[in-house]
Amino acid sequence: MAKINIAKAPVNSAVLPFYGTAALFFILLSILLLFQSGSLTGGYFNFHLLSIVHIAVLGWLTMIIFGAGYQLLPVICERNLFSEKLAFASFLLLLTGVVLLAAGFWCTPSLGAVFPVWGLIGGGLIFLSSLLFVCNVAGTSKICDSYSIQKNFILTSAIWLCWTTLAGFLLAWNLRYPYISKDHLELLKLHAHMGLAGWFLQLIIGVSAKLIPMFLLGRSSKNNLLTKAYMLINAGMLLFLTDGYLNGITDQAIIYLILLLAGIACWMLYLKDVYNNRIKRPLDITLRFTGLSFINLGLTIAALILIVLWRPPIRSQIIYGLLAILGWLSALALGMTFKTLPFIVWNGHYKHLNGKGKIPLPKELYRHNLLQLQWWLYLLALYGLTAGLLLQLDLLIKVSMLSLIGTSLSYGLNIVIILRHKTIFIHATTPEAPDR
Amino acid sequence: MPLLQKLQTDDPFFEQKTVALQRLYEVIDPELFVNIMDLGLVYGIEFTPAQKILVTMTLSTPHCPLGEAIQEGVKNKLLQEFPTYQIQTVIVWTPAWSLENVSDEGRKLLGMPPKG
Repeated sequence: MAKINIAKAPVNSAVLPFYGTAALFFILLSILLLFQSGSLTGGYFNFHLLSIVHIAVLGWLTMIIFGAGYQLLPVICERNLFSEKLAFASFLLLLTGVVLLAAGFWCTPSLGAVFPVWGLIGGGLIFLSSLLFVCNVAGTSKICDSYSIQKNFILTSAIWLCWTTLAGFLLAWNLRYPYISKDHLELLKLHAHMGLAGWFLQLIIGVSAKLIPMFLLGRSSKNNLLTKAYMLINAGMLLFLTDGYLNGITDQAIIYLILLLAGIACWMLYLKDVYNNRIKRPLDITLRFTGLSFINLGLTIAALILIVLWRPPIRSQIIYGLLAILGWLSALALGMTFKTLPFIVWNGHYKHLNGKGKIPLPKELYRHNLLQLQWWLYLLALYGLTAGLLLQLDLLIKVSMLSLIGTSLSYGLNIVIILRHKTIFIHATTPEAPDR
Repeated sequence: MPLLQKLQTDDPFFEQKTVALQRLYEVIDPELFVNIMDLGLVYGIEFTPAQKILVTMTLSTPHCPLGEAIQEGVKNKLLQEFPTYQIQTVIVWTPAWSLENVSDEGRKLLGMPPKG
């Protein structure tokens, strides 16, 4: 007999607050974007945009990733989460930190103005939250029996998150108490890519390499591809950051980008192998979001290559950020939410009732018509916004942003429906209620 | 070959095993919406004279978050039929579950082409 450990999910209170709060931040983000569309088309750096970006990457994406991470880590390691209390503390710190930091940026009129001290405190709280996250990841994986490259990706991504939030805190400090002689905006680019490729990309690779085979019932024995991806991405990142800090971002960045792209290619080949060895059945809408996310990742990379080669103005760089944050990362979050949250809630309500009578399935905990609506509104929002920015069409930009608000509201409503779910149970021995 | 067809008529618990395995067709994998028997997750069932039932089974993946729910489903279903018995499930990873384990009916339910 082999190992007999199976998933040990943490208590719902360590996970669910992240999902609910992330949905609120997503709605807030979409509303702020509508009223700040000038920030996207203005073609210059401004703090309102910085505030919105931090709401997106921390309040929306990192929040949901923390929640999903605390749920999935015990599954991957086949052990209990190291500390549920630390998980909840990281939630409180992240929530408070994002509110203070985003408000701090919002209230700062220009680059020369003084950044409020409470915004700085917000940055510090976010750093502390990321430290707690890395402690939980390290603590859980330390007691993990099996070596897994997926675990390494997740732990490394958490460490990159810590470096990113520390760098962000130091940059925020520099805004209030200037001490860095280098160009603040150049350092901001390093900070942003630490977050994008160090934290988000590696976390997604680690989690997807575990979850996608699970969802598709596919397999791949080509784990060496993941190991290569790990080496290439981290080598590329370390070289890019070291060179970028010492010499600024130069043409050599293309070499580091090639390393990064080679790593992403290895990951894609691994997923392709899983996809080819899956049960061939129709992909549901949640997995269509995942597929769309990969298309958006391709577009993001194409935009990045163009930026590295041609150095276009900030306005074009905003399209790159848009594709990365609202395209690649948000599409993944919008779909994967419905592959994780309903199961977490279902486990809490029905695990012990399974087999005793009639109970709903996890997929019946949310409204599919709302998810369909979310899909179409999201497509219009993302690609309309991208086209609107490229072509400088204000009307299209406004319509797309309204569509993004619709996306966030339909998403948020489904989250509320799942979180407020009440147990429905018809005992096997009682006569079944007639279908209405 | 499905477990039900493997049962020997001279098995002292033939009748109980037949009933138990039939009940396990009612335990659904909540992710795949297919019963665990047609998925080929159940490897064996034993009855002891001391009124104990031992179900040896696997999961489609060692990291299945619904693994506990599926085991609970097995226990609850068998308890309905054998309320005085002690039910125990044992999860094994060898032999590992594969698509080969899925019955023809299971393949149909999963939208897969038939074997061969």
